[in-house]
Amino acid sequence: MALTTAAGPTLREPQPSRITGRRRGSGKGPVREGPAGYVFLSPWLLGLMGITAVPMLLSLYLSFTNYDIFTPISEVEWVGLDNYRRMFTTDPTFWKSVTVTAKFGLIAVPLKLAVALGVALLLNRERRGVGLFRSLFYLPSLLGGSVAVALAWYTMFSRDGAFNTFLRLFGIQGKPWVADPDFALETVMVLAIWQFGAPMVIFLAGLKQIPGELYEAASVDGAGRWRQFVHVTLPMLSPVIFFNLVLETIHGFQGFTGVFIISNGQGGPVDSTLMYTLNLYIKGFTDFEMGYAAALAWLFLIVVGLITVVLFTTGRFWVHYSDER
Amino acid sequence: MHLATPQVAAAPAHDHRNRRPSRLGRALAAALVLPLALGTAVACGKDTPSGPQTITLNMFYWGGETRAKLTDQALALYKQKKPNVTVKATWQANQGYFDKLATLVAGNDAPCVYQMDDNFLADYADRVALDLTPYTNNGKLSVSKFPPSLKDYGTVNGKLSGVAFGENTPGMVYSKTKVQELGVEEPQTGWTWEKLITWATDATAKSKGKYYGTMDPSADYKAFWMWIRQSGKQLYNGSQLGFSKEDVVKWFDMWKGARDAKAAPPADILSVANAGDVTKQIVVTGQGMTSFMWANQMPELAKNTKDQLGVVAYPGDPSAQWARASMYLSVFKGCANKDEAVDLVNFLVNDTEAGKILGTERGLPSNLDVRAAVESSVTDANMKTSIAFENDISTKFGTAPPVPPKGHSTVRSELRKAAESVQFAKATSAEAADAFIAAATAALAK
Amino acid sequence: MSAEAPALPAARRSGVPGVRQVGRILVLIAILAVALYPLLWMVASSFKSQTEISVAGNISLIPREFTPGNYREGWAMLGEPFSSFFINSLVIAGLTIVGNIASCLVAAYAFARLRFRLRHFWFAVMIGTLLLPQHVLVIPQYILFRTLNWTGTIAPLVVPHFLATEAFFVFLMVQFMRGIPRELDEAAMIDGCGPFQVFLRIILPLSRPAIVTTTIFSFIWTWNEFFRQLVYLSDITQWTVPVALRQFIDSSGQSAVGPMFAMSVLSLLPVFLFFLFFQRLLVEGINTSGIKG
Repeated sequence: MALTTAAGPTLREPQPSRITGRRRGSGKGPVREGPAGYVFLSPWLLGLMGITAVPMLLSLYLSFTNYDIFTPISEVEWVGLDNYRRMFTTDPTFWKSVTVTAKFGLIAVPLKLAVALGVALLLNRERRGVGLFRSLFYLPSLLGGSVAVALAWYTMFSRDGAFNTFLRLFGIQGKPWVADPDFALETVMVLAIWQFGAPMVIFLAGLKQIPGELYEAASVDGAGRWRQFVHVTLPMLSPVIFFNLVLETIHGFQGFTGVFIISNGQGGPVDSTLMYTLNLYIKGFTDFEMGYAAALAWLFLIVVGLITVVLFTTGRFWVHYSDER
Repeated sequence: MHLATPQVAAAPAHDHRNRRPSRLGRALAAALVLPLALGTAVACGKDTPSGPQTITLNMFYWGGETRAKLTDQALALYKQKKPNVTVKATWQANQGYFDKLATLVAGNDAPCVYQMDDNFLADYADRVALDLTPYTNNGKLSVSKFPPSLKDYGTVNGKLSGVAFGENTPGMVYSKTKVQELGVEEPQTGWTWEKLITWATDATAKSKGKYYGTMDPSADYKAFWMWIRQSGKQLYNGSQLGFSKEDVVKWFDMWKGARDAKAAPPADILSVANAGDVTKQIVVTGQGMTSFMWANQMPELAKNTKDQLGVVAYPGDPSAQWARASMYLSVFKGCANKDEAVDLVNFLVNDTEAGKILGTERGLPSNLDVRAAVESSVTDANMKTSIAFENDISTKFGTAPPVPPKGHSTVRSELRKAAESVQFAKATSAEAADAFIAAATAALAK
Repeated sequence: MSAEAPALPAARRSGVPGVRQVGRILVLIAILAVALYPLLWMVASSFKSQTEISVAGNISLIPREFTPGNYREGWAMLGEPFSSFFINSLVIAGLTIVGNIASCLVAAYAFARLRFRLRHFWFAVMIGTLLLPQHVLVIPQYILFRTLNWTGTIAPLVVPHFLATEAFFVFLMVQFMRGIPRELDEAAMIDGCGPFQVFLRIILPLSRPAIVTTTIFSFIWTWNEFFRQLVYLSDITQWTVPVALRQFIDSSGQSAVGPMFAMSVLSLLPVFLFFLFFQRLLVEGINTSGIKG
């Protein structure tokens, strides 16, 4: 099972007896305290059962119905796999939203991570004023998905926008990026990458957690900057890189706010920014096809879940945890 | 309890085909609904009298701070007249309003009185809104002083589902300043579409390409609706489309011609304006001389530009326009105090004092007597202009069409998508028309 | 903008600023300039008059008609002074932070360090909860909170965070905790510590980067969250900053762009200061050698 990565090599060991709470650490694997696990887990379990699980399961149920918000849930009609069938056969917006989302995820996510890592590395070195620099780089991410940001984006990327003015300095005639179906999605990608502050901060935190002695030891051994980076920084940072990779991928595919504010909730122009979750929202709240929207959501969960499983599986090969041998 | 039980008990009885909510589903639903049913029973207590007479009504509407202040004043007046009724009014921006309303309805938390518009009136009609027809018959709710088309425009499938809470009509807003600057004719009500386009071509040329003569409203359902009516057809026939593919192709082609002739701006400028945001209309951004809006929006448009603005009817025969409700008030059919809710609606819409307080902020008052009393007190010059325009054109109104059926909101966005695909040259008029008709038909068929 | 460049460290051993150093700073400044232009434009627009904002091609960073009145107008625009929205947001953010830290730390410790049955299954479920698009949960969750009679209060926005419902932070903390060498745990256990002690004495202190990161993100996300706050809060006195900001520009009539920018800029300040302050806690690295001794 792919997810054993998180648990480390424990699965290969013989199962210890769980009952005795007295066994001291044997030097292998995690602490073996039986009831403690569930004690620590209890708030999360309570939250799961009480707040997350029932709504999720209810939405799963609704995905097999024709729930339209107005009919009480207890009276909805079961339609079996109709919603799922419809997605793949009679709904043109479905495939459009899939391609838009795939495009966004495959381009914006790696770029964003690369920029975040790059800037984090740059900032990790400087001593003076680094706090201010760091905060300034983080500013864009603080804006979230406000109307102000959308307007700013129009200003930057419309036909008479700042970006085109800049291009004109080089004699390049710019396009009306944000209002052009061929480029509108790209402007949203730029928006996503612009808000790289979040993964950057996480990278920074991860970099800070790398013990200084490791670098000292490495330079004593004669390793130069680059080798230190490859042999100390990257492996020690890998759990954090992994985290950012997984989360940014999930969030990337789930992208809603950026396209929502830029396209005014419509996914335009001509559906060029119709990401999957935006389509879902429109189907659920504007067309009142909540059952269909639920089906879309669960399909999303399955597909992105599979992608996540792939990430976890391949992660075993390059993620290095300090708590493993 | 009487409110909640039917939801749980009615589940198995009603359908004839081979569908039944699965046991699992019902169990899940019951898991949520049963406590909800009990909860509602408790909640009913909120609305029913705690003392012998006190009643609380929940009201929900969209708008801005001005509207909120005025509404609060009107409600205070109501409290004086009906001291045992407390109205708890909640308001917010239009954005997210319908999402929240839908959530409230689904969560069995629907407000007793809520604002509605014709985008969703039909969707909410049967299942959520109370049929107000009996109340008009027994005199509790009066719509007799309304322009007849305004009253009819709240009726869905024979049931009065919303009372018009303000009248509005489309108006083509144009820049007087630019007209004078270029020395061209001022637009008039009654111009044909062709005349507008010719005029605009000329205007663009005279401005030496600084701005365009007219907006291209091919993505705008209001313009399309007018034009269809002027061709003798209707947008909807019951819950079917009332026009054919050829009509759509003609419409798209007409505007393609306009763009090619440079009468109207290119696609990217249009697409920004198509979103409907007042601040992005070309008449205020300075990129064009006309915008196709609602007459009521003139004052707000005027705030965003230094140009002086004027308003006329959409091109073509003005009898294609009609008294449209700018918004409605509806009553939730599950409201615990229906009579009181209807009375509140009646007050807000028909009482002269309330009308004077609420002013023209939501549109022209629906009640003609109230309207007469209110108009004299308007001071804003742009508001006066738009009112004068509406009064003038109402003499030319034609018969109102029925309220758009369920799925209208999707038809609107499909029209926009199709028009934009032609504007961006991603599709020919014929292809776009096909796509539009297919999607619109599917949306209406639900 | 170049005023932000820190002076090159004066006391370099070689006495000459290295090319690398200068290059690095230049690159940073270049990226910063690009990254901050939209923000600077927003600040500039907050001082522009309405007619100037709406005109096409409004890209300049210098207002033609300086309109500081936007700030005054925006502050009072909604009837409630904007400060009340700040306070509401602060309260919710504060509670959210506390809840997130407390509940996610313990859950992460369980996943990262403890053994128990079904651990991988629960971990998978936790990741799974991240995957479902939120919009389909709105109505079922609303029904749930309605049943508990929590709608119209901040409870639905705050209580879930005390129950570790943000899998993002649980996962984040798990990853950080797994970066803490297990020898430390073992050393403590040899000294007689049980899992609780290990948690309190070893893991917790060393989880500072994770805690700081969680704090920062919790604050920022709460500060910017719109939809759920819209759905669960009703009265204007309860409104938070994002809900209030949406009120300024509305397709139903409002178009107060200038005040909107003004208040958006203002609402950036608390978040920025919060971040500026807290990110300092990320500066100190972890030195584990002292503990081993």
